[in-house]
Amino acid sequence: MSDEIIQIETPFQFNEENKREFDELIGRYPVKEAAMLPTLHLAQRQEGYITPAVMKYVAELLELSVMKVKDVVTFYPMFFEEPVGKYVIRVCHTLPCALRDCKVVLDHLKEKLSTDVASETNLAKGTTDDGKFTLMKVECLASCDVAPVIMVNDNLYKNLTPEKVDEILAELPN
Amino acid sequence: MVQERRILYEHLDVPNINTFDVFRQYEGYTRFEKAIAEYQPEEIADMVKESGLKGRGGAGFSTGEKWSFVPRDIEPRYLCCNADESEPGTFSNRYVLEKNPHLLIEGILICCYAMGIETTYVYIRGEFTLGKKMLDAAIKEAYEQGYLGENVRDTGLNINIYSHPGAGAYICGEETGLIESLEGKRGQPRNKPPFPAVQGVFMKPTVVQNVETLCNLPFIVGNGVEWYTQMGPTYGDTRFDPPKADPNTGTKLYCISGDVNEPGVYELELGLTSTELIEVAGGLRGEEVKAVIPGGSSAPILTHYELDTRLDFTSLTLAKSMLGSGGIIVMNETRNIVDCLLNIMKFYAHESCGQCTPCRWGTPWVRDIVQRIADGEGRQTTITRPKFGVTESGRWGDTGETEEIYEDLDLLENVANNIANVDTMTWNTICVFGIAVSWPAVSYMRKFKPEFEAAIREGKLVTLPVAEATVPPEENYAYQQRFIPKEFADL
Repeated sequence: MSDEIIQIETPFQFNEENKREFDELIGRYPVKEAAMLPTLHLAQRQEGYITPAVMKYVAELLELSVMKVKDVVTFYPMFFEEPVGKYVIRVCHTLPCALRDCKVVLDHLKEKLSTDVASETNLAKGTTDDGKFTLMKVECLASCDVAPVIMVNDNLYKNLTPEKVDEILAELPN
Repeated sequence: MVQERRILYEHLDVPNINTFDVFRQYEGYTRFEKAIAEYQPEEIADMVKESGLKGRGGAGFSTGEKWSFVPRDIEPRYLCCNADESEPGTFSNRYVLEKNPHLLIEGILICCYAMGIETTYVYIRGEFTLGKKMLDAAIKEAYEQGYLGENVRDTGLNINIYSHPGAGAYICGEETGLIESLEGKRGQPRNKPPFPAVQGVFMKPTVVQNVETLCNLPFIVGNGVEWYTQMGPTYGDTRFDPPKADPNTGTKLYCISGDVNEPGVYELELGLTSTELIEVAGGLRGEEVKAVIPGGSSAPILTHYELDTRLDFTSLTLAKSMLGSGGIIVMNETRNIVDCLLNIMKFYAHESCGQCTPCRWGTPWVRDIVQRIADGEGRQTTITRPKFGVTESGRWGDTGETEEIYEDLDLLENVANNIANVDTMTWNTICVFGIAVSWPAVSYMRKFKPEFEAAIREGKLVTLPVAEATVPPEENYAYQQRFIPKEFADL
């Protein structure tokens, strides 16, 4: 992907707070490239997902080619290249959670949100029509003692049952 | 009953132990102060070597030995703390980060002092948002109190710690994958050698240590080597003449999950058995133990015949498994091993970084074979192949006879063994992810072969009673080749 063929309608830029945080970050590493992951996290927090404009901006900040940024974005599951819901629900389905019936939790969420589960290449599949939720399965969240677990954005919820899931969903602000 | 021996976790539940003031009340940072006041850096490195501390992240390599490979004449040197805890079944680092981050900082300080390191990166997995928040707050406090920054406590030392978030890739827990990721690239592991100790992050000498390993350092320095080595068995490895000391010293944060009544982290001296650990964790949920995974999902499974194997580095290695990260997953009689393997193989097929062809193509292939068997579509054709078993010499090997085996089971073993061969312990990939895939694939299939055969024969998943599902000890490759270490042989 060379710079010419990327169609960017609105350029992306960090807001003041994130710019400050970025300036602090960049001083931590002997090479700028090393700030890649924290910078992408900041950008995703601001924009919601990693757009071509974000990649171009990050590439300029870190003095890299856009391709290098794209290379990294596609490797890590936590970076989204498509829009996602306001709440991203990550359901752990690895063995310890599977032994504690995470499937019941997942099925309940699917029914409750009337959506399918997103795949890494098709996030829209797991996003509700109103754009509020994106439901996805993830690998081990390192909380096997309190399985089954889900993460809603940055928060972890433990020892889940369908009833607890209902409570959690009801408490989320619109 | 075995008692918990809380050292790293001793003050974990003290309210506000995450703040500097409370941590300070519980001897916080006094061990670091003792280190700089009483010892030279090289003496600390020697103490760690003498303590026999083994890396708690997975490989179980001697920490002191690892440090001795770091050239002290190349500047700068780096420390990378591996907090990318992603091995299924492991969750002990999370609690350290969330509840007692100052302990980790103290461990890092001691390591930095011993190795003359000025910069540390703590690579935290992206999902640990709370852990990162707590650690960042603790780092900030430590800077304010003069334990970090320039001229730490008027000693002339400059030490900085930065937290660095990952972004959800399992492979970044591999030390060279972590280094690549830290440098802002795809987390694809590097060829070794050169080892990170010589050329690591930014091509400089780098020490990579797990959170738990670093948290052991304050206690080794604070209480002395003698105190530390009294915990856990030191074996005399009698395969060597004269027997070589093989220490399994200290405690381990055993993470136990699955079918037990009280899953959680239990800190115990190394060297107890699975049966004892299940008892500590409130007993089994169910009637009978069917299988135990002893060291995170990568570790070969143990059958109910092997529950007397001690859960320490040496014993499990000699039983052809591994302690790994100490993530113990227990399965009761209701579990279907084919189904469990399918779950794990989906994990590895998803997490392969895609760098090496055998792994990139092999992991989905293994997953598809297991999926096929689980769906009741396993190929029912059989092939004839040489039978391995106990030979006349009493050792495991080619018996000269032949056996009939379902094509799919042979294929499963074959594909897995061509990613990494579990018998010869050689892998066709850059990193040990290959062996982490083929270990479970081959061990589940070989040790619970009747259950795989039943699924193919019946055309659906069949959960057999434990005794029927398990291959008896005399036909179990690992059981027959296991070597029970002799405790405290004359050294």
